[in-house]
Amino acid sequence: MAEKKLEVKDLTISFRTINGKVQAVRDISFDLYKGETLAIVGESGSGKSVTSRAIMGILAGNAIKDGGKILYDGKDLMKISEEEFQQVRGDKIAMIFQDPLSSLNPIMRIGQQLTEAMLLKNKALRKESKANLKAMFAALDSRMKEVGITDAQHDLAKFKEFGLEHSKLETSYTEALDNATEALALAENCILRIDSKALDATLHSDLLQFEQASKRSKDYFVVRDRAAELDEAVAAVKAAGTPKDEAGYAPVKEALTKAVSVLKEATEFEMPNTFTLAYYLKNVKNEIPQMPVAEMNALTHKETEQGFMDAFQAKAEKAVVYSSGETDKARQAAIELLKSKLPVLEKAEPVKTEVDAAVKEMKAAVAKCLDPLEVTKDSLTHTFGTSIDYAVDLYFGGFKRNEKEEKRFAKSSAKHEKIIARGKTPDWEVIPMSLVNLEAARVDMADTVKEQIAHFEQQLAANENADFAARTLEIVDYLKEQTENSAYYLSKHVARERAIKLMEGVGIDNPRRRFYQYPFEFSGGMRQRIVIAIALTANPDILICDEPTTALDVTIQAQILELINNLKKQRNLSVIFITHDLGVVANMADRIAVMYAGKIVETGTAKEVFYEPAHPYTWALLASVPDLDTKEKLESIPGTPPNMIYPPKGDAFADRNANALEIDFEMQPPMFQITDTHYAATWLLDPRAPKIEMPKVITERLERIKARNAAKAQKAEEE
Amino acid sequence: MSEAVKNDPILRVEHLCMYFGKGENVKKAVDDVSFDIYKGEVFGLVGESGCGKTTTGRTMIRLYDATSGNVYFKDKRIVAGTLSYKKEIKELKAKIAGKKPDGTALETKLSQEEITKANERIAELKEEIKKAKHDHKDAAKHGNVTQIQMIYQDPVASLDPRMTVKEIIAEGLRIQGVKDNEYIDQKVYEMLRTVGLVEEHATRYPHEFSGGQRQRIGIARSIIMNPEVIIADEPISALDVSIRAQVINLLNELRETMGLTILFIAHDLSVVKYFSDRIGVMYFGNMVEMATSDELFAHPLHPYTRSLLSAIPLPDPESEKDRIRIRYNPLTDHEYSTETPQFREIVPGHFVRCTTKEFEKYQAEYNK
Repeated sequence: MAEKKLEVKDLTISFRTINGKVQAVRDISFDLYKGETLAIVGESGSGKSVTSRAIMGILAGNAIKDGGKILYDGKDLMKISEEEFQQVRGDKIAMIFQDPLSSLNPIMRIGQQLTEAMLLKNKALRKESKANLKAMFAALDSRMKEVGITDAQHDLAKFKEFGLEHSKLETSYTEALDNATEALALAENCILRIDSKALDATLHSDLLQFEQASKRSKDYFVVRDRAAELDEAVAAVKAAGTPKDEAGYAPVKEALTKAVSVLKEATEFEMPNTFTLAYYLKNVKNEIPQMPVAEMNALTHKETEQGFMDAFQAKAEKAVVYSSGETDKARQAAIELLKSKLPVLEKAEPVKTEVDAAVKEMKAAVAKCLDPLEVTKDSLTHTFGTSIDYAVDLYFGGFKRNEKEEKRFAKSSAKHEKIIARGKTPDWEVIPMSLVNLEAARVDMADTVKEQIAHFEQQLAANENADFAARTLEIVDYLKEQTENSAYYLSKHVARERAIKLMEGVGIDNPRRRFYQYPFEFSGGMRQRIVIAIALTANPDILICDEPTTALDVTIQAQILELINNLKKQRNLSVIFITHDLGVVANMADRIAVMYAGKIVETGTAKEVFYEPAHPYTWALLASVPDLDTKEKLESIPGTPPNMIYPPKGDAFADRNANALEIDFEMQPPMFQITDTHYAATWLLDPRAPKIEMPKVITERLERIKARNAAKAQKAEEE
Repeated sequence: MSEAVKNDPILRVEHLCMYFGKGENVKKAVDDVSFDIYKGEVFGLVGESGCGKTTTGRTMIRLYDATSGNVYFKDKRIVAGTLSYKKEIKELKAKIAGKKPDGTALETKLSQEEITKANERIAELKEEIKKAKHDHKDAAKHGNVTQIQMIYQDPVASLDPRMTVKEIIAEGLRIQGVKDNEYIDQKVYEMLRTVGLVEEHATRYPHEFSGGQRQRIGIARSIIMNPEVIIADEPISALDVSIRAQVINLLNELRETMGLTILFIAHDLSVVKYFSDRIGVMYFGNMVEMATSDELFAHPLHPYTRSLLSAIPLPDPESEKDRIRIRYNPLTDHEYSTETPQFREIVPGHFVRCTTKEFEKYQAEYNK
């Protein structure tokens, strides 16, 4: 299973309004893994945007965080301070908003807004990577010393040295390759334009750009032996200037064709392994070996493995095994301590001084259980301190008297009684005096500790047959990445080129001119694309898309979805995609969570939700969208979502569900498990429930799809 | 879908052009678009944003003054483009005065013969303009204009926030000179019921309604005039999925009960396919392909239509995985340097904008 990036646990959020407390999100949990797309689908008002805003830490002022955890990178996003959040927001977790106008600065040019994030991020990344590297080196060094390896310092210095060289080589290579690709595209486009007699200003600017891009495309590996030829072609294009008629363009075309042949070869060139090459240059021979790239890669790889890597890995593995063993010991000790201190918290009436003392010991014991050689941070253990502090504060804070609240309570309950005395039934309820449920808070304290114990036990069990070689490799990869980042300098020029490429990527015409325009000069769809481009420039870990394509038309929508998908694959992004249109996510999503009235009613992989939907609300959503073969009357969902000030007692969708069972109005259905990944909260899955068929529209559509896919598979087999 | 009665075009659009801007900056929003809409059918107009589909709809009811071209409603001209005539008159007059249109002197002055010819042409054009003006007035007088109504895209922006629902719906009747309050009330309540609202809603203000209900109010406002044609300009793109289905079902019902003809402008192709009898595809001001909806989806011929169809998201993860989106690049896909493309009929009822060479290619493709 992939690495967990984000964990949302029992998240509950409500809003304080004049009419009462609106329960927007009620107790939802989900995980987000690295490199996957989770789609959250639901009508407006189902709480999907509130969830995403909670993850971004931008909830409105009247929001009440009733409880739950959002664990990310060793932090609980529900509890960290605004200053800490600023390190995460935008940089690690970026968001594309529904309304593009509100997310652009009206007095800054688009180009500046695009490159700003890139440049700032690059600077921050260098700083952060340096710190990370230092910490990891220190940890490795100390652990290695403990297992009796004394020359660790020397090895690490060596690693750092050629790591930096690798970063330099790679930067130069990718920049040249980027430019070569651009020059190739421009040259091909120019030839097309000349052929179709479109001899206008665009052609001239394209030619100019081609000249610049080709100049920058020369690197040892990219335009290698034929640099002179390319220079010649560029000079010829330059010499021709801007002829008026077609005949004048004949030499230009000829030169361009030549350039295309050079660039095509260059861009199809195999990529050298710059990491091993850097080792070779620094430690074996300071000269790039003259041979084909594949051979060179093999040679440098061999040199690196034999000369350094194998030995280093063996040493590191020793350290990892030792470190893991030490941590396991600490975990054993911590479990015992937590178990022995648990009764203090579980007392019917906990005493504050006792609890404080116990918590202090527990925190110290748990803090020792953090393995310094762990690449993926153990979020739960990291946040144990804040979680337990929060729970304790909540419980003992609940005893404090709040005079203002007491007055309000007395006043509104008097009013309530008055109405009842008059023989009427009031349509509102008295908000209780204390919003803290003391009993629940007390249980929560003990639960936090129990959860931690269970977590440690699970880790101990997992460590019994752990693959330490893989873990060592992970560390080496991490070191490689961090050295690379710590030396990577993004110049303004390259940032501009990247921004322009990104603008082209999101489908903006003539990006070089558009780069210098203000937001008001763009149409709505264009602004949305700019916002998407800006969110992507920061190169975030997690990208939250809140209905990014709702206002755009099909072709652009398809382009943008493709763009997000490609970026996801390239950068191994995790994406949370929020939409009300199930059709859009079929191609994007790995997993889908359907939300209704603040709860997740069904969750599963995309195939499961589309092919075997289980919840009546999912049926309704699927049935209300026509596809290309639909002929029957569409089934719309009657009524409106429930008022969340008074959330319904039973299944929230029962009121709008024609086939609702009696129990749906009385009891909330639990999450029934259908498969390992597929869950749905509906009483229909209970073994006692009557059999209710899916709407005809969906069964028919599924049959069509099945037939089509079967035909396709058969065709593929025949071929 | 009910089969539309053919050979009875209720609306005929001929060579409609709508240009914005002047001189070098002229933007051809609608460039020589012709199509017929038959009685009782739904004609879908699709294309990406900025391709001129909304401008076409708006020009057809003279929200803009057309540059040139005509629109006939039941064989009566309701839109006649005169801007091109006016421009020509201006140029001719300048020529007669011995100047170029930009004010500089002409190298050779016109001969007497040419001047008389020019004067004759001016008189001719003036007569045309006069005719057009007469037609416009005539159409307004006989109420032909009120028989075409429009539903707008944004249900929030298109309703006046300071008017009650009753005032909004009844406004058209009042402008037409109906003064009988009781009749108006009756009519408004009837319309509210038709679109699935209740009488109590009449005294409320637009902000008290949800998006779907607001769009219903917009529909009630347009059908109170008892129109024959409705131009629905992206009526569902601002709505939630579940509400979309409600509005489409409502339009479908109205179409059957009132015998409406609908020009349905949208960019959501699966909805257009579901709702329309015939579909016209627009690209940069030109109509590039037109056919019945089944035909268009079964045999798309123009490369732009193909790229458009390949971009439709389907609720099927399996087939979405290996979907290939076709990209359309007018520079590489067409060879227009030797011949300007024309709108031609490939098979009966299926038109494509193409050159003669392409025409042969498409025909061969079709018959294969």
